[in-house]
Amino acid sequence: MKRERSADALPLLGALRFPGMLYASTIRSTVPRAQHVEIRHPELPPGYRCIAPADMLAENACLALPDGIPVFACGAVAYAGEALGLIVGPDAAICDELARGTEAAYEEEDPEFEWESFSSSQIAFRCSTEFGDVDQAFDTCQNIDRAVYRNGIFDHHYSEPMGAIANWEYDKLAIYCASQWPSHVRRSVAAALNASEEDIVVRPTELGRALDGRLWFPSVVAAQAGIAAKLCRKPVRILYTREEDYLRTPKQARSAITVKTAIDDQGRLLALDARIIINIGAYNPMAEELIHQAMAAITGIYRCPAVRIEAYAIRSNIIPLGAMGSIGSTHAFFSIEAHLNHLAKKLGKAPAEVKALNILAKGSSNFGSKPLDYEIPFAKIHRKLEKISDYRRKYASYELVKKRDPGSREGVIRGIALTVGYQTGRSFSQRGPSSSYSVETTLERDLRLIIKTQAAIGSESLKAMWRNTAAGILSIPEQNISFERPDSDAVAGGGPLTLSRGSSLVTKLIDRTCRSIQKRRFRESLPLSAKAQTKALKAVEASGAPALGAQLFDSASWCGTAVEIEVDALSGDPKPIAVWMVVEAGKIVDENMARASLRASAISALSLCTRGDFDPHGGEGEQYLYERRLGLAELPFIGIEFIDADRSVVPRGLGELPFITVPAAFYSALTQALGIDPRQLPLGGSEILKLLEAQ
Amino acid sequence: MIIDFNVNGEMKHLQVRSGDRLVDVLRDRLSIESLLPDCLSGRCGRCFIFLDGRLVHSCLLPAFKAKGTRIVTFEGIAGSPEVAEIEEALRQAGALPCPFCRTAKIMAIVDLLDRHPLPDEAVALEQLDMVSCACTDPASLVKAVGLAADARSRRKFNRANQ
Repeated sequence: MKRERSADALPLLGALRFPGMLYASTIRSTVPRAQHVEIRHPELPPGYRCIAPADMLAENACLALPDGIPVFACGAVAYAGEALGLIVGPDAAICDELARGTEAAYEEEDPEFEWESFSSSQIAFRCSTEFGDVDQAFDTCQNIDRAVYRNGIFDHHYSEPMGAIANWEYDKLAIYCASQWPSHVRRSVAAALNASEEDIVVRPTELGRALDGRLWFPSVVAAQAGIAAKLCRKPVRILYTREEDYLRTPKQARSAITVKTAIDDQGRLLALDARIIINIGAYNPMAEELIHQAMAAITGIYRCPAVRIEAYAIRSNIIPLGAMGSIGSTHAFFSIEAHLNHLAKKLGKAPAEVKALNILAKGSSNFGSKPLDYEIPFAKIHRKLEKISDYRRKYASYELVKKRDPGSREGVIRGIALTVGYQTGRSFSQRGPSSSYSVETTLERDLRLIIKTQAAIGSESLKAMWRNTAAGILSIPEQNISFERPDSDAVAGGGPLTLSRGSSLVTKLIDRTCRSIQKRRFRESLPLSAKAQTKALKAVEASGAPALGAQLFDSASWCGTAVEIEVDALSGDPKPIAVWMVVEAGKIVDENMARASLRASAISALSLCTRGDFDPHGGEGEQYLYERRLGLAELPFIGIEFIDADRSVVPRGLGELPFITVPAAFYSALTQALGIDPRQLPLGGSEILKLLEAQ
Repeated sequence: MIIDFNVNGEMKHLQVRSGDRLVDVLRDRLSIESLLPDCLSGRCGRCFIFLDGRLVHSCLLPAFKAKGTRIVTFEGIAGSPEVAEIEEALRQAGALPCPFCRTAKIMAIVDLLDRHPLPDEAVALEQLDMVSCACTDPASLVKAVGLAADARSRRKFNRANQ
């Protein structure tokens, strides 16, 4: 009885079986910080084995990956739940039981949980930049405001729990896993085994919806599986349970961003001084990229003549934390948008008025970079958004209700806000999202079309859109088209593959290769192949500080989001009533598919705003996990409109746009509804009730 | 203990332990690949089976509970006109579930249409909420449920061409 799969579907990791395959369960630390770990496992039945760091040393394997991430905690434990070793054997349930019964002896140390005020030893990465005379601007200005904005931890809830299978295939070790960064998996497994990268092949399994939750951690699990396979000389599978995955794998990072501004009487920004602190948990190899993306987004889409940014990635003894949806920029964008709303309120103006006053105009620039060579479509998006959401009337009505009866919790507590943001196609380091993609398309004699791309295809809608594009050009039935994701042997290294940024580039490449085949089709004999590759965008990188500024907007997509919410007066629960989005993302190949993708991301982004914070010290997980998603019956109306791109007909990424704009708009709507400025997300019912009672 | 039960029309005779979950027995011992043990807490819906005609989470049932029952998995209904109609409706509505939840969503819709031939949006959303996967736009899924319901009623009343 086979699971019915489409022809181009990759295998699901949980469904893969190999002859003689062993199962591995992870032995985990129970303390957040310790030295000198010693594992004491119960007596193991025949056929079972405990794999610990000592075995790795005996096999000349490496204890740490190239990024310095330990394969197993050996000399030191950095967080509660860190992998100490594996119990490997033929029955998964018995392995689980043995792993649970295994104890460890440690020399415990005081854990570092504090991160907003940190010690120098906790700094994983630091970066600062300054442009213009910030001190003078603050010295001469009367209107100075300072506020701290905080973001919580959030789970990605991707399609399949983390895992990997290591299987011997002739002279190579094949690693099966779902990773957004296969070249990193290959490099990590090779390093862990002290082997050549050529001896390792990474075979991708179905990725599903990853939301940047599978950037680098699959490499650690793959290295553990690789070591177990090497020591046991058999295929080994590690597959976390959903609860284990929820409690022990990386989440969206927590941040505290201090924004200090100087403005003139009209509300024009004169200076901005920002201090960004991102808690990366025990470790994160992408800390540099996270910090640079946050720094780039802190000025939002606004012009400021004097800017100083100081940013820190801080280690603490909790699970690794990192990217989600948009790497680092959500935090910063939320902070600047919330701060401008606060300034507008202080000046007695509408937020949109203050934002329009500060918008980066064509020819202007931040950080002394090259001037912006086109007009940001702020006004166009804003006008359309106001119209479709009935923003002006609703905003005025809710303000009026609040003024008539301030502090009242009777009746309806509602708010509406809108915000305009962008998704950049740029990365800031070699660890930033890859912009180099390739596509090889082959039209076979029987008119089957095979599209080979290394892009992390996480959505069936995207495949459908690509099928539609190719079928239209070549006039073949859509069911004749299948996709292949090449093994790591066939793909060059590079940065991680984030779907949203890659999808638009791959669409373009599929279009190009299909047109090339179509041109030659009736002159040359089948099969015909065509290859195309994007030129990698140079990382916007300099030594130390990233070169920020207008080049961020070169390949940007734009989105305006309006969110209307209602707060339950009794429970405090914020309920989104409606979300409207106006998107300018270049050529939209299939509007229905793009809408479906934006809606799905908007729902995830709304869940991120409304559900309580993940507690890294919490216990039982699965219950929290499922409570942190908005139920389908709770979903608001989501209306999406596209506006024509003036600049080009090239499709650009749009999947990250809701993660950037929805939290900022949601928060602003909440501040209007509540009449208070809590300066944090997420905000659940209990937090809101506490705030209202304090008010 | 030894249990006898019917799976997709075939009688099975298996020895199970008291702690075995039904999903593990069906998947690992009978190779039913449409079942994906994921949350193991009755929330994700990826282990849906029809047990004596009722849609249940097989991860919540001990294997011995299957004794004397009739189990139908996705494989048992895969070739049916009901599933073909749902798949076509999903395609038409642009609702394309990921490979992890596709069978679970189809099972949930089959069960819904068996109980509510013309479900309204709220009932459809409540049923679809049993499959906790955020891969698909809910509005498209509701549209697909409507299309599948129409197709089923047309077939039932012999009005295929209308």
